[in-house]
Amino acid sequence: MSLLRRRTVLGGALGATLAAPAVHAQSGGKPYNGVTINASCFQTTYYEYLKNYFPEFQEKTGIKVNFTMQAFPVYNQRTDLELSTKGSAMDVCNVTFIYSGRWIGAGWMTPLDQFFKDPKYTPADWDPDDFVAGAQSAMKNAKGETFAFTHEAGAMLNIASRYDLIEKAGLKMPETFDDMIKVCEAVDGKEGVKAFVADKLHHWNWIPYLMGNGGTVFKAPPENLTPTFASPEGIAAAQWYADLLMKYGPDGQLSYSDDQAMRAQMSGRANMRTQAITWGVPLAKDPESKVAKTTRFALMPAGPKGNFPGSNSHGLGIPAGSKKKEAAWEFIKWAFSKETIGMIVDKHGYPAVCRTSVIKSPKFKEVLTLNGQDVAALYLEVLQLGGKSGYMKYRTVPVFPQVGDKINKAIEKIATKQQGAAEAVKQAQAEAVQDLQKAGIKVDL
Amino acid sequence: MQGLAIVLALLALAPFLWLLVMSFKTNAEIFRFPPRLFFPATLENYAALWTSEFRTSFANSLVVSVSSTIVSLVVGVPAAYALSRWAGRGGGTITLWILASRMAPPIAFTIPYFLAYRYLELLDTLTGLVLIYLTTNLSLVIWMMRPFYDQLPRSLEEAAWIDGATMWQGFTRIILPLSGPGLAATAILCFLFAWNDFFFALILTRTEAMTAPVAVVNFMNYEGWEWGRIAAGGTMIMLPVLVFSFVVRRYLVSGLTGGAIKG
Repeated sequence: MSLLRRRTVLGGALGATLAAPAVHAQSGGKPYNGVTINASCFQTTYYEYLKNYFPEFQEKTGIKVNFTMQAFPVYNQRTDLELSTKGSAMDVCNVTFIYSGRWIGAGWMTPLDQFFKDPKYTPADWDPDDFVAGAQSAMKNAKGETFAFTHEAGAMLNIASRYDLIEKAGLKMPETFDDMIKVCEAVDGKEGVKAFVADKLHHWNWIPYLMGNGGTVFKAPPENLTPTFASPEGIAAAQWYADLLMKYGPDGQLSYSDDQAMRAQMSGRANMRTQAITWGVPLAKDPESKVAKTTRFALMPAGPKGNFPGSNSHGLGIPAGSKKKEAAWEFIKWAFSKETIGMIVDKHGYPAVCRTSVIKSPKFKEVLTLNGQDVAALYLEVLQLGGKSGYMKYRTVPVFPQVGDKINKAIEKIATKQQGAAEAVKQAQAEAVQDLQKAGIKVDL
Repeated sequence: MQGLAIVLALLALAPFLWLLVMSFKTNAEIFRFPPRLFFPATLENYAALWTSEFRTSFANSLVVSVSSTIVSLVVGVPAAYALSRWAGRGGGTITLWILASRMAPPIAFTIPYFLAYRYLELLDTLTGLVLIYLTTNLSLVIWMMRPFYDQLPRSLEEAAWIDGATMWQGFTRIILPLSGPGLAATAILCFLFAWNDFFFALILTRTEAMTAPVAVVNFMNYEGWEWGRIAAGGTMIMLPVLVFSFVVRRYLVSGLTGGAIKG
C-alpha cells in the first residue's frame, strides 16, 4: 500500500471516528491537544505494527500514546496488581482472556457502552456488532455490558506439520477422536517424526477432549461453579489424553512451552498439534520452518458428544481508575476501526483479527490461504462456534486460573504414571472444591 | 578423587555452558535435532541485546545493585560494630528485631510496598529499588558483620584510643581494615541479592527502571520466544557476578567462614 493510500485510510478512519464531543470543536481539529494516555499490553504483533502509526493518530487527535508492551506473564502480574488497587497509571489496557472474568467481575474495568452507544463519541459506521460474537463474549458481563473490544482471537485447529506422511499412509486429517488415534498409530515415528505434540498448558489443550467426551469443567458457568471434571467421562478423557501424549509425543514434551511445541513442529520433529491458529501460521510462513510446504490445517477432531475447539480472545479496555477515559476511547476506536485493522492486515498480514468484515475480506483470505487451503474460513467457523453455544464460559470465570492449575497437575500425574486417572482427577477436583470454598464460592456437591 | 571433582564440577557447570553455547546459536540451530557439537557461531543475539531496551535495563541493574550494596555497607557496617561493642542489655534483642525484615516472604509485602510507592511516586524509579534492596540487605550486613567484630579483640581499638585516636578513627583505621574478608563476602551477597532480584523489580518497575532479569523475560513474546536472546541475556546477567566473585575470591571463603567461630 502506498504512503498516500495509507494516510488516506488512516485519515478516513479518524475522520469517521472523530465525530467527537463538543469540547472537540476547540483547538482546530485536535480535540485532545496535549493529552497523553498510557496504554499497555503483552507483547503481540498487532501493536508492534500499530505503533508505527501512533504519530498519525497524534497528528489527528492531539493524543500522545505511551504504549508499553511486556512479556505475557509480566504484563498479567503487573496489570492485576494495578487494577486491583484501582490505580490511574493506565488509561488503556489489554483485557487478558483468562483474567477477563476476574477483572470485569470485580468492577476494575469501565463499561464501554457509554461510549460506543453514544453517537457523540462513536459514529454508527464504527459498527460494534462487526466484532465476532465468540471473541467478544469474554469481554462482557452477565448484564451484557461490554468492557473491551478484541484485537486478537485464538481459534483451536488441528495443525499437521507433515500432512504428507498422513497422505502417504492413505489417511486424511482426523475428524474424530478415533480417527486421531488411527492417524497417530499409522504415522508415529515415520521419518523420525512423532505423531503428536502438545505444550504443558493442559487446562487449555485437554478441555476440548474432555467436552468432546461429554465432560465439563464446571456445572453451569458462570452461575454455578461446582467443579465437575471428575465425572466418569472426565476420567476417561484424562486417561485418553495422557495416553495420546505419552504414546505419540516426543520425549520431554510434558515440560514444553507453547513455543517449544511449535518449534518441534517447525523443525519437523512432531506432526499434529491441536492448538490456536497463532501457533500454526508460523509453520507455513516462518522462514525458519522446515515444514512450510507440508503444513495442513483442519477443524479440531470431534468426540462422541461433539466438537468443542478452544477459542479465546484478548481486547483493549479502559481501567476503572483511568482519569482520561474519553481520550482512551478515542484510541480504542481508532485502533480497532475497520479501516485500521484492514490496513494492518493489508500491509502486515496480521492473521488473528476479530472483525467479521475484515475476516471475510479478500485480503484476509489471501493472508490465510496457506498451501492452497482457506484457513480463514476455519478460523471464523471456530470463533463463531465458541460464541454460539457459550461452552468457553468456563475459562473466563474468576476462579479458573486456580482450577486450571489443578487440572495441569492431574494430567501430568496420569501421564507420568504417578497416579491412576481416576485417583488424579478426583484429587484435583477435591482440591479445586477446597479452593473455591475458601474463596467463598458456593459449591453444591 | 580429582577426577570425581572434575566430573562434579562439569555437572554443576553444564547448565551454564549450555546457556553460553545457546547464546551463540541462531533459533534454527538451537532447535536442530540432533544438536551439532560444531556449528557456525553468531553474535547476532548479543548485537540484538545491544540495540534493544535490554541495554538500559542492564545499566539499571548495575546502578541499583552497586548503589544498594554501597549504601547497605555504609549504614550496616557501623551498626554491626556498634551492636558488637554494645555493653548494655538489649543489644541481642535489637539485633533480632533487625532480622524481622527477612522473616516474611517478599510477596507478603507486595501490596503495602506497591501502595506506599505509588503514594510516594517511587514506582518505576531507581531510587525506589535501591531503597527496597537496602531494607532487605541491611539485616544481612548487620548479621554477617557482627560476628566478625565479636571475634576481634577489643584491646586493638583500646590501644588506638590510648594513642589518641577517636572512636571513629579506631573503627576506620584499625577495625575496618581487619574486616576485609567479611566485607567482601557481605558485599557480594548484597550485590547478588539486588542483582538477581526478579520479584520486586517486576512489581515496582514499569519501563524506566526495569532491571535485566525482568528484561530477559520480555523476550518471551506471546507469539514466540526469542531463545537466542534469552540465552544471551542470561549470559550477560551472569557476567558481572562472575567478574565480581573473581575479583574478591581471595576473601570470599575466609569471609564466609570467618565469623562462624569465635576465636
